Amino acid sequence: MEYAVETFDLTKVFVDKEKKGAERYVKAVDHVNIKVKHGEFFGLLGPNGAGKTTLIKMLCTIILPTEGTAKVNGYDILKEPVKVRSCLGWFHGETGGRSLYWRLNAEDNLRFYAYLQNVPKDVAEKRINALLEFFELSKDRKKLVKDYSTGMKVRVMLARALLHNPPILFMDEPTIGLDTISAVETRKLLKALNTELGKTIIFTSHNMFEVEQLCERIAIMKDGRIIADAPPSVLREMLRDVHAIEIEIREVNNISETIQSLSSLSIVRKVVETRNDSLSIIVRLQVDDEYEAIPIIASKLRSLGVKVSAIRRSEPTLEDIFVRLTKEGAA
Amino acid sequence: MDVKRLIEIISEDIPRKKTPIYRIVLSFIIRDFKVWWTYKFWLLLDISGIILFVITYYLFSLITTSQQVQEAGYMVGGYFTFALIGIAFQQYVHFAVQSINESIREEQWNGTMETILSTATDFKIFLLGEVCFSFIVSSALLLMSLLLGILLGAEFYTTPTSILTAIILTVLLIASHMDIGILSAGVIMKVKQGSPVTWAFSWLSQLVSGVFYPLKLLPWYLEWLGRAFPLTYSLDGIRLCLQSGKDLTSPAILSNIMCLIVFVIVATPIALYIFKVGYDAARRDGSLGQY
Amino acid sequence: MRVEDIIELFREDKPRVSSEIRHVWAVFWANFKIFLSYRTWVIMETISTVASVAMYSFMGLQVDARRVALAGYGEVDWLSFALVGVATANYLWMCISRLSHSLQHEIREGTLEPIITSLINMRSYIIGQSIRGFIVSGYFMLGVLVVGIGILRVPLVINPETILSFIAIILLMVLSYAGIGIMAAGLILVYKKGDPLTFLFASITEFLGGVLFPLKYLESIPILYAIAWLMPYTYALDAARRILINGATIFSLNVLIDVAVLLAYTIIFIPIGLRVFRWGVNRIRYEGTVATY
Ligand SMILES: Nc1ncnc2c1ncn2[C@@H]1O[C@H](COP(=O)(O)OP(=O)(O)OP(=O)(O)O)[C@@H](O)[C@H]1O
Ligand SMILES: [Mg+2]
Repeated sequence: MEYAVETFDLTKVFVDKEKKGAERYVKAVDHVNIKVKHGEFFGLLGPNGAGKTTLIKMLCTIILPTEGTAKVNGYDILKEPVKVRSCLGWFHGETGGRSLYWRLNAEDNLRFYAYLQNVPKDVAEKRINALLEFFELSKDRKKLVKDYSTGMKVRVMLARALLHNPPILFMDEPTIGLDTISAVETRKLLKALNTELGKTIIFTSHNMFEVEQLCERIAIMKDGRIIADAPPSVLREMLRDVHAIEIEIREVNNISETIQSLSSLSIVRKVVETRNDSLSIIVRLQVDDEYEAIPIIASKLRSLGVKVSAIRRSEPTLEDIFVRLTKEGAA
Repeated sequence: MDVKRLIEIISEDIPRKKTPIYRIVLSFIIRDFKVWWTYKFWLLLDISGIILFVITYYLFSLITTSQQVQEAGYMVGGYFTFALIGIAFQQYVHFAVQSINESIREEQWNGTMETILSTATDFKIFLLGEVCFSFIVSSALLLMSLLLGILLGAEFYTTPTSILTAIILTVLLIASHMDIGILSAGVIMKVKQGSPVTWAFSWLSQLVSGVFYPLKLLPWYLEWLGRAFPLTYSLDGIRLCLQSGKDLTSPAILSNIMCLIVFVIVATPIALYIFKVGYDAARRDGSLGQY
Repeated sequence: MRVEDIIELFREDKPRVSSEIRHVWAVFWANFKIFLSYRTWVIMETISTVASVAMYSFMGLQVDARRVALAGYGEVDWLSFALVGVATANYLWMCISRLSHSLQHEIREGTLEPIITSLINMRSYIIGQSIRGFIVSGYFMLGVLVVGIGILRVPLVINPETILSFIAIILLMVLSYAGIGIMAAGLILVYKKGDPLTFLFASITEFLGGVLFPLKYLESIPILYAIAWLMPYTYALDAARRILINGATIFSLNVLIDVAVLLAYTIIFIPIGLRVFRWGVNRIRYEGTVATY
């Protein structure tokens, strides 16, 4: 069976010319082999600089690989770039609303790309209207894009990626810069495009929650390499030996000192995150054995004079997996 | 590095001293120099542009008569020397004003303007810093074009007093055009486009300040308009020095100098005020970082 | 509009229509609209064009008419001579730099990346951008000529034949430089900063092409004189002057020679330019700097 996206040792090495002679090589993507089935919702995770954007840009024919190749919808990205382009929609959230013509209005921007994507005129108008309405831009459609907020620009860019109804969507951080409600709507739309119309979606985000919610399969990238590639449930399975504890702190004098003394405990592996709820501070710890750890931590906190409202065992989340894989380099 | 360590480093309390102004200005100059140096190619272009400009007017001078220039009181050197002085000094101020604008635009474009203005730097010092470097580079280009002109046969009076007087006039020229640069930077902040002020100065001064022809060839209304431009007085003064050997004892020179001083005294507060207005307006519109 | 409606809309998929003309039109129209949105700039440029013509008229007062006659267009006053030169030189410079300029803009704004992922090919893109360039620069050239002829009463020969011949020469001139413009655009893609090539080109053209003085005065420097006659612009200017000053048409013998030279340059340079441009696009795709400025 043909895959929607299939890469063969896809590699990209950037050359940073710093001064004359001195060249630094950055392996942004390093012999990546992934296979994405038609109709799959595929997530790409990784810390900043892992190479996600570079990988996606190569698949969209914007960047040429140094080595290896890939097939998108069965077409080779090197040999048949035009055919590849005809079946993909690309969204790049990192630009934060650049990449539009700021001196045109939303409508003209979309119409321009509709023309370039060979969408017939009547269909284009219908879709532009619908998408503008969906993204709540109808009343600003005649306003120049330069006067839009970042989120509004992002929504125009989303509409642009969908306009020509491509079977494969590359969504590079699509919810970046969107407010909560728009982000929810966008996620709903992507999910529906995937389930209802069978579109293949390659998705990146730094928001673990949405990746977990949307993606059927997740690849984790680090330093250009894929270090894990599995459905979320399997990834979670990999964490069976990781145990997490959440501490809810009500009152504390010096939080960083507290965290420091907690992480110096031999039983604590790592302080994963500290969150600031409105009332309390929540600290998450990875430990070897939670049942052994809880009493030790409790007494430590007591000796420090910290007022704690709860200490509980917690399910490992994707975040834990992510931190573990990328920090500890396990595969 | 973990979070705690970072917070410790950042929160370490360093007593703040007020940095002396010259240090700030110097840091601007050094920064601009570094940025500029990465575009060495641009310098090459500026230089070749000026060379071509001078040579073009050298060739043009071959088909002109020097009669009008001499009648206007510029005795030696003929039309070529006349035009050379005009071009060199007009380009000098044009380049300087232009690059002030460019750097403001560049800052806005890159979003560095918001960052700089959010640091503790006063905007007047910010401006001074932006302006200084432009004038250093354009002074070098000015000398170069005068030298080239001499190679092509331009003639000057070179008595110490006339050269000294020419230098005084040049300093006043710089002072007056710094005001124009600041003023147009203020306008740019507001309108976000190549500033109409620079444009007006560049073209109008080329038209009415007597860069390419003596003022008396102009109809009376343009000649009159020319008197509003500091370039007119500077060019007339500098030409009288270098082409007719006049110096500070000449009433014509003195009146030129007086006019320039008056211009500077009047224009400086106005320019600073307009810059402030533009800057505040941009902050009000929230468009400082927008281009 | 709810998610379901959007899905419903996308369910019906009409076949796409492939048409290069639509691509060209889209590029032209979008960029023309952007140009119009810079209203202040247009007004400023218009006024400065008028100012420059006025300036030349005052410069002309110092010119010794006998020396202009050396150019070989008979007893011609310097302003007519210079006006044709300035109008054509500006037109050429604007046309060539427009393309590089817009590309620089597209890189800077990050809009080149979505264009690359779309279905337009680079040829249509270049044509669309160039048409915009022709029209915009045509407007300014018209400005120069109208001010010159209408207000300053410059005695140019204006009748239907000379107008048509002049337009034909302008088109040929632009085509003979199109290759170089496209080449410059390709280099801009890779080297990003500025359009040095077109800038140098423009100043050299203006200087060596004899815009302000008869080329005879370059004869004393044989190298420059030779270079001057290697530039297509020199021929285009010669033809334009013969037409507008002496009333020749495109079928006059002298003009025909110029036309032949311009055609030769067109045929030689356009393929080279396209090659370089394609090289540039692939190079930045390789370097991953399509949106890096
Ligand atoms: N044009 C370029 N030239 C040189 N190096 C580059 C270039 N583009 C990207 N890189 C480098 O390649 C690596 C991967 O970058 P990439 O943008 O693909 O990361 P990413 O996973 O998308 O990160 P993020 O999560 O921040 O979006 C980084 O180290 C980056 O510095
Ligand atoms: Mg990225």
